[in-house]
Amino acid sequence: MSDRIRLSIDGRELEVKPPVSLLQAAASDGTPLTSNVGCMGQGVCGACRCMVRREGEKAVSTVLACETSAEDGMQVSFIDYFSPHRPHVYDVAAITDSWRVADAVRDIFPEAEHCRHCGGCDRACPKGLEVQNGVALAVAGNLADAADVFDQCVMCNLCTLACPEHIWPNHLGLMVRRAVTALTLRPVDLITRLDEIERGQQPITFSGEDDDDAADRTANRAGTPRKG
Amino acid sequence: MTRLNSVLLNPRIGVGADLAAWRKAGGGEGLARALERPEDIIPTLRAADLRGMGGAGFPTWRKWTATADAPGDEKYVVCNGNEDEPGTFKDCYLLHRTPHQVIEGALIAAAAVRAATVVFYINPHQTDGIEAMRRAVAQWAGDSQIAALERLIGQPMRLTVTPSSGRYIGGEESAVVRWLNGSFPFPRRKPPFPFEQGVNDKPTLINNTETLSNISHILKNGADWYRDLGIGGASGTKLFSLSGDVLEPGLYELPMGTSLQELIFTHGGGMLGGRAFKAVFTGGPSNTLLTARDLDVALDFDSVRARQSRLGTGAMIVISEGTSVVRKVAEYVEFFANGSCGQCPPCKCGTFQMSRLLDRIATGRGTEADRRALRHLCQILPGSGRCALIDGAVTVVQSSLQTFPEEYAAPASR
Repeated sequence: MSDRIRLSIDGRELEVKPPVSLLQAAASDGTPLTSNVGCMGQGVCGACRCMVRREGEKAVSTVLACETSAEDGMQVSFIDYFSPHRPHVYDVAAITDSWRVADAVRDIFPEAEHCRHCGGCDRACPKGLEVQNGVALAVAGNLADAADVFDQCVMCNLCTLACPEHIWPNHLGLMVRRAVTALTLRPVDLITRLDEIERGQQPITFSGEDDDDAADRTANRAGTPRKG
Repeated sequence: MTRLNSVLLNPRIGVGADLAAWRKAGGGEGLARALERPEDIIPTLRAADLRGMGGAGFPTWRKWTATADAPGDEKYVVCNGNEDEPGTFKDCYLLHRTPHQVIEGALIAAAAVRAATVVFYINPHQTDGIEAMRRAVAQWAGDSQIAALERLIGQPMRLTVTPSSGRYIGGEESAVVRWLNGSFPFPRRKPPFPFEQGVNDKPTLINNTETLSNISHILKNGADWYRDLGIGGASGTKLFSLSGDVLEPGLYELPMGTSLQELIFTHGGGMLGGRAFKAVFTGGPSNTLLTARDLDVALDFDSVRARQSRLGTGAMIVISEGTSVVRKVAEYVEFFANGSCGQCPPCKCGTFQMSRLLDRIATGRGTEADRRALRHLCQILPGSGRCALIDGAVTVVQSSLQTFPEEYAAPASR
């Protein structure tokens, strides 16, 4: 019995030896990865968004190819990158009044109030985030909880693609996270760590380098990391 | 030449919202017959072989029977006038010019299934239709036939005109029910069907405007008369919304079973600018295309289905040589992408991705990988949505890929 599995990706019939991710399978026949690829398997860039239909199933799910194991009989279709028709322009540094920040969210994302609660964004999210709830929380002015909802968002744009009201939920989530971060104190361990680095008490070590070299470079660097 | 505009579009009955004028033109007789012998209504429709004109071609009598047999004494009849499909423009005419033809049919439906509430669900963009229907409905208040209907049903009748959401998916039956129950018109999986669980969760009969318009004539003139209107084995007449590259686009009522050739070249005046006929998007943009070798097809539900297409709403969007099939398909898929309600990511994302690929191919930027990916999507997507929207989008793409492969080829090889 062969230990290889067969699947089709964008119409290419492939045979691969598991375990491999869909992204590895897509690259297995030598096709150059010129799009739908970014962080190469770490699940943080959201570029490898795709639709997957499993053998014998009618349902089609949206996943990240780098985080999904290739299975026998899978049919996979990558989804193009796209950008907003209308960019969301805002300056986080200008958001200084925490009393007005909920208004700012509504001004920048006016469509958010038109959510029809179809649940498409939740179903589309490959990270399993409660996207619709995040949007509702933001509209209601509960930005701290909204930011939490989007904490694991990798900006794959699948919720945006799924949204019939053009809300761009992930972009709203990013804006909320930025605004909340700009208006709150940083985590205490991060503050302490940066402080130590600035005072030369914590040399930054790069793997494969001697600690001494790294310490020298850190000390000699013109611009040491700044708190911010 | 076959008879044109013999029943529904007969100029004699295009009297607008005036009930007295409608009766003078012969209206009201069908309802009178129905009220005399309500038990004969459904058998008459069965004998007439009336089919649903909204696209499916489902036997009307079966829907009526299911609703009539459903338990409970709170039932609803809904006239579906959402009409929002590209290339279909028949219901708007019926609602605006012959509102009583529609109402009388709906009242007969109410008598057959014992429904006390009749809702005329109309696309809000059809302002003329809504206005005419409101004026027409008001004239039935206190009418003796309404009183007779109330005696039959044992409840006071209520007729309302309700603007729909105007969205494409709002015409789907389960979406109609959702909207009338006060929610966004999301389609849902069936069963339960509306005859089981419809408006207010009660048995609900939903019929297309054209279907209901036929009812009074069938009751008045009999099933045999209706069957004889059709050609070959087909019954009755059909409204065809003819558009595209023809000299005389417009709305034509022709016997069911009229050939495509006759519709385009006799009634539609032939092709624009003397160009050659290329294809027709049959029954709207979500079906299989018919080409020059199908010009002989009889336009009735069964004959069109035998060519692996569907009569649909009767929309016939004709294109000539020189019009890009891929461009048209790209436009339609974009329409579906925008109309997709959002519930099912494969529908929303799939129509988007197909739309992107089609756009690249139609503008000469497509690669072999794009063409392969498009064909692949046609395999993955069918059946992945709650309703048939995604299936319709795939059907037209797949059909055009099969019928006009050369148009998808790279520009250099064209």
